[in-house]
Amino acid sequence: MTFTREKDFGTPAASGEAVSLTIDGQELTVPAGTSIMRAAAMVETDIPKLCATDSLESFGSCRLCLVEIEGRNGYPASCTTPVAPGMVVRTETDKLRKLRRGVMELYISDHPLDCLTCSANGDCELQDQAGAVGLRDVRFGYEGENHLEGCKDESNPYFTFDPAKCIVCSRCVRACDETQGTLALTVDGRGFASKIAASQDEDFLSSECVSCGACVQACPTSALIENTVIEKGTPDRAVVTTCAYCGVGCTFRAEMRGEELVRMVPWKDGKANHGHSCVKGRFAWGYARHNDRIVNPMVRGSVDEPWREVSWEEAIGHVAREFRRIQNAYGTRSIGGITSSRCTNEETFLVQKLVRQGFGNNNVDTCARVCHSPTGYGLKTTFGTSAGTQDFDSVQHADVILVIGANPTDGHPVFASHMKRRLRQGAKLIVIDPRRIDLVRSPHIEASHHLPLRPGTNVAMLTAMAHVIVTEGLVDEAYVHERCDRDAYAEWAEFVSDPSRSPEAIEELTGVPAQEVRAAARLYATGGNAAIYYGLGVTEHSQGSSTVMAIANLAMATGNVGKEGAGVNPLRGQNNVQGACDMGSFPHELSGYRHISDAETRALFEKDWGATLDPEPGLRIPNMLDAATDGTFKGIFIQGEDILQSDPNTRHVAAGLAAMECVVVQDLFLNETANYAHVFLPGSTFLEKDGTFTNAERRIQLVRKVMEPLNGYADWEVVQLVANAMGLGWGYTHPSQIMDEIARLTPTFAGVNYDALEQRGSVQWPMNEAAPDGTPMMHIDHFVRGKGMFVVTDYVPTDERTGPRFPLLLTTGRILSQYNVGAQTRRTANVDWHAEDRLEIHPHDAENRGVRDGDWVSLRSRAGETTLRAKITDRVAPGVVYTTFHHPDTQANVITTDFSDWATNCPEYKVTAVQVTPSNGPSDWQKSYRELAEASRRIETAEPAE
Amino acid sequence: MTRVFISKDMASVALGADAVAQAFAKAGCEVVRTGSHGLFAIEPLVEVETSEGRVAYGPVGPDDVAAVLDGSHGTRIGAIADHPFFVRQQRFTFARCGVTDPLSLSDYGVHGGWKGLEAATALSAQDVVDAVKASGLRGRGGAGFPTGIKWQTVLDTPADEKFIVCNADEGDSGTFADRMLMEGDPYCLIEGMAIAGHAVGAGRGYIYIRSEYPFAIEAMREAIARSASRIAPFTLEVRVGAGAYVCGEETALLDSIEGKRGQVRAKPPLPAIEGLWGKPTVINNVLSLAAVPFILAEGAQSYADVGFGRSRGTMPIQIAGNVRNGGLYEVGFGVTLGELVNGIGGGTASGRPVRAVQVGGPLGAYFPPSMFHLPFDYEAFAQAGGLIGHAGITVFDDSVDMAHMARFAMEFCAVESCGKCTPCRIGSTRGVELIDRIVAKAPRAAGALETMPQIRNASRAARTHDEEVELLRDLCDTMKHGSLCALGGFTPYPVLSALDHFPEDFGGGDALREAAE
Amino acid sequence: MMNTREHLIYMAGQIFRNFASRGEEAAVSATAEHLVLYWDPHMKAQALDILDDPEIDLPEPVRAVFGKLRVAA
Repeated sequence: MTFTREKDFGTPAASGEAVSLTIDGQELTVPAGTSIMRAAAMVETDIPKLCATDSLESFGSCRLCLVEIEGRNGYPASCTTPVAPGMVVRTETDKLRKLRRGVMELYISDHPLDCLTCSANGDCELQDQAGAVGLRDVRFGYEGENHLEGCKDESNPYFTFDPAKCIVCSRCVRACDETQGTLALTVDGRGFASKIAASQDEDFLSSECVSCGACVQACPTSALIENTVIEKGTPDRAVVTTCAYCGVGCTFRAEMRGEELVRMVPWKDGKANHGHSCVKGRFAWGYARHNDRIVNPMVRGSVDEPWREVSWEEAIGHVAREFRRIQNAYGTRSIGGITSSRCTNEETFLVQKLVRQGFGNNNVDTCARVCHSPTGYGLKTTFGTSAGTQDFDSVQHADVILVIGANPTDGHPVFASHMKRRLRQGAKLIVIDPRRIDLVRSPHIEASHHLPLRPGTNVAMLTAMAHVIVTEGLVDEAYVHERCDRDAYAEWAEFVSDPSRSPEAIEELTGVPAQEVRAAARLYATGGNAAIYYGLGVTEHSQGSSTVMAIANLAMATGNVGKEGAGVNPLRGQNNVQGACDMGSFPHELSGYRHISDAETRALFEKDWGATLDPEPGLRIPNMLDAATDGTFKGIFIQGEDILQSDPNTRHVAAGLAAMECVVVQDLFLNETANYAHVFLPGSTFLEKDGTFTNAERRIQLVRKVMEPLNGYADWEVVQLVANAMGLGWGYTHPSQIMDEIARLTPTFAGVNYDALEQRGSVQWPMNEAAPDGTPMMHIDHFVRGKGMFVVTDYVPTDERTGPRFPLLLTTGRILSQYNVGAQTRRTANVDWHAEDRLEIHPHDAENRGVRDGDWVSLRSRAGETTLRAKITDRVAPGVVYTTFHHPDTQANVITTDFSDWATNCPEYKVTAVQVTPSNGPSDWQKSYRELAEASRRIETAEPAE
Repeated sequence: MTRVFISKDMASVALGADAVAQAFAKAGCEVVRTGSHGLFAIEPLVEVETSEGRVAYGPVGPDDVAAVLDGSHGTRIGAIADHPFFVRQQRFTFARCGVTDPLSLSDYGVHGGWKGLEAATALSAQDVVDAVKASGLRGRGGAGFPTGIKWQTVLDTPADEKFIVCNADEGDSGTFADRMLMEGDPYCLIEGMAIAGHAVGAGRGYIYIRSEYPFAIEAMREAIARSASRIAPFTLEVRVGAGAYVCGEETALLDSIEGKRGQVRAKPPLPAIEGLWGKPTVINNVLSLAAVPFILAEGAQSYADVGFGRSRGTMPIQIAGNVRNGGLYEVGFGVTLGELVNGIGGGTASGRPVRAVQVGGPLGAYFPPSMFHLPFDYEAFAQAGGLIGHAGITVFDDSVDMAHMARFAMEFCAVESCGKCTPCRIGSTRGVELIDRIVAKAPRAAGALETMPQIRNASRAARTHDEEVELLRDLCDTMKHGSLCALGGFTPYPVLSALDHFPEDFGGGDALREAAE
Repeated sequence: MMNTREHLIYMAGQIFRNFASRGEEAAVSATAEHLVLYWDPHMKAQALDILDDPEIDLPEPVRAVFGKLRVAA
């Protein structure tokens, strides 16, 4: 692929009825509502423009795009003038040329002239248009009043704002308003003094700017430009690939110069992101070439020895020998593997295949265990399939949006921007969250209802909403009658109608006024298309699965499944959580969510793989660790997951890992888990391999290799090396062959292959004979399981309770600039925004404890103790404290307990009883762990080869 | 007890009307504060109620009470309608101004108020719109767009909510008709807006008044409060501007009401289809809306019978500047410019010869006396390279420097530009710089940059005077045809008219005119 | 912290409590079914060992669930 800019039609597409007109003698037909500019661009007539770009509504300020229209006076701007039937337009006349040149002459009278040394040289619309209008001389001269003395703003680590290069086209301001929805930028002053300002004329870093990059992308000059372009020059080729951060699945053009990545530019045709991005995907990719990358395999006899760099051959041979030795000594089921939601579908498929075919057991699990496993269980039980019901675009049809246990503006920022656009258009918002997340009140958005419930009371809250809907007669009876299991509905309706489940009855429990709950329930049931979006604040509870089912119940009762603008939509944490689950990463099921006990499914795989599969479910991660402590589980292959930092009750994880004889970690960096590993296999980044990711809307998108892996192998190749060392004889030469195997063995993927992905850009499963174009929305006429299944969700309080020793409830989450355990984002300039995890505490609770803002505090639970600094805020309610878990020093999971979801063992991260006291230093655990980590990371460099 | 009528119009107050009113009150008179009749040379004006009707005296000072009350005062006018300034006026819109207590609902009713609204509510919305169309009323804010057609668009656009917005951001120099009407007859505007609401199906109206008009703001607010039940269910609210001239542009005005930075919106969409908060909106000037009650009360034909060519009805013309009889003169279209300046206005106040008049505010063209035959008519003025605008006429005597006035136009545009579109944002500043050079007879020499060997295409020779003037004309062309709104688009009118009619002030001769395209 | 056996007993009890609104008998069956579907063979074997260990004071519903598991096995 060579470097060409994406075509810019100037104004957004329209969708009206066909209108015919003539432009420069050429007849054409376009949808009504199309601008003359766009219509012209569609027939390859590019009218000069500067303030127009097709990602933004037309603005009409630059006045370069003037045209002549027969029968109309003057020279209307083609960007703001829609086509009309029979219109005759001329885009090039002497008069127009003169006017455009006059406008350009004004621009250049107030612009630097150092084009050849400008960072946007060759990629500058002002330069292009000056050329297009044929400007040769600026008769005003260059010594009039100007803006050339403005100071550059280099506060943002990723881009620079040079006001001297600014032409005040407002594209950045409009991008911040329309695309991102943060409204951080404005035009300050008026007339000739107009200038772009961030927030109250602050520098970009200290302003409300979230560094999404939309302004940089929109800028037609180098006024806003990526620092990487300033440093490296403009790119010479571009490869479209998929972001490896969150579950939104943005697609980007990786713009390259040779082997070097110059910038990531969100792809306009990306179906998930529509040309938008966030600070992580857009800018935080520097970790890929960070010095901390481990590129050579390493082995050691025991974890107190330093690492020894070895050849791939030696490392792989060691792994194979150790695993076989352990199995011979302790039994077939004594080893297992963990697949990664960070890796591709093909890679996770291979890891679970390695376990099932090679290890001969089902001891495979994935990080979805600790995030969305309850989604799988809950939606499979109620609807019949373990996935969200809609595509992201569906939100543009929602009238009511219910966000529960999710913080989209931080966790899923690009989708949040799309959601905010709909909210600004007038959709109503209900937020159920203990914290006052940003969505509750942000520019031009205010939640109709925020229900700040006590952590751990989701089921009681949702059941109370169901109570209102049923007892106030708001159920969509016709829908339920036709689409759902009637007996189950009757049982459920009777259950929720019980007065003990009314909002009034649970008011004390949840801490939310009953009237608010009633009002929110009524709005959800009667406000039109109602969509539910949820995240880990739903799943990471002792009743995570019940909460998912309670959500599904609400949606079915109100007829909100199977239509646009509605549905039940899990916001997936990681880029490929959906895919990892689809690929059979759970110990009880094969790809496509088919239980391992099903002989027919097993037979399909056995025939294809030439192996006999264990019909019994394998161990889940926490059970693997239990078994390790018991001495029955001795070896593990962990690909791309840092369970020591990310899984709950760190001490339990450490004890389990320490009890194993062969811990193999494959990762980009020496992560925390690697401190307990015996073999380290270097991993490759998403930039270094081909494959596919599946995002939260079941969208399968290609990941394309843009550079050679530093470590020499893509991760799927490493898994194949291990498999073959164990005698499995795999022969994949490209990930597309793995996808072919997945398609062959998985009915919901039957129609998926790389050719189709190349052609269509992306597809949403199920894709097969029944759905040859894939499935943007599920359950349209009937549920996958047949009739929708209402499930009674009794509120069972968690056993994690506050008391005199631990009077506060800790809940956890993440922040925009950082990503999960921070392995990547901590190795980028994103730390400028979030250098450490802080404990949010309500002023009232802080006052009681003598804690001031910024003080070090000790955070203690019955599981452990850590220290971090306090941030006093009323975002959290009294009695609730909150922290992120992005930094290993914080060790937030030393605090979390081993309580978990009843159905799936998804950890109860969101509820831990804690005490907070002033402190003056790290806890004993933090100190001893720091020593251990330091010792464990020693590397003995290999002798240089002769 | 003797009743006397004294204006509380801002202009009258500025001339001492309050002190006069106090003096009459002290003397035991019942003082009724009215609006102004509109001739400032006779303010403060006192009208004494007698058995023969009101007898006017003016100007009157606070020491003149006794002389006025005994009829001996030397400025006795008699019946105001017989004064030469008023005798030929056709007061359709300003009929009550100066006559009634502006806030008295009974005065308003007695003097023909609400007749238009009553007539309108008896008609269908379409019939009202048709009446306005038939009257030939055109937008009095300056653009002259037929009001009835605008209303028809709003009526025809289906929406759950529509608005009537009155543009009372009267910012043009030498204009004061909006202010006088709001201070002197606020119910007339309210009635007009209520009729518009009925005609297009709007339930709510906003009156956007510039902050420099505190009396008008107070009068409108009080009048809205008092007449609320009369116009219900239609409701009205006053919004106060924040000093930006550009907010008098209708779309910037909408942004300002919405609480945004006042910036011009591109059209389409027309405000009539997507206006305030994206809803169909009638935006009309005060004078357009205030003309409507007469049209409905007296019939469209009565209005249309007056006028000239396609300019129907009357225009409240504001005569200001260096002129003897400055004030408001409402008359049917067609009166000549010369009649207005020399006849009605009485020539300059300074007594020196008239050299130029600017019609239509700071962005209107300058006319020399040789063009005084022009009839006051939208089309005639447009054809002569000018505009009527809001019908403000500013008179200058022969001491005026027209190059300075041209520079002022560019400077005004630079100061008031919202900064959105390039021709206005940069062009006005370049225009000031350029005119400065022209006036100083100092054409630009090649700049330091232009003479560097790295720059190849720029001329290294100094520019000539003619080249600088040609550049000014080109700049005016770019601004006129390229600007987003009338601010940048009309700034060339005063500049080019000054250049065309008074080339000698720019250091050139008649030759310059020939150089023009 | 719980040891593995305590953990298994706790887990079974927790699952039972979430099915409890269906009534004792149905909840026991649903819980046992859940264990069959999601517990690995070693965990199931440990459950049966627990059942046989007189030292362990097993809550009644969990005993019933593990009993069902034995029948299923």
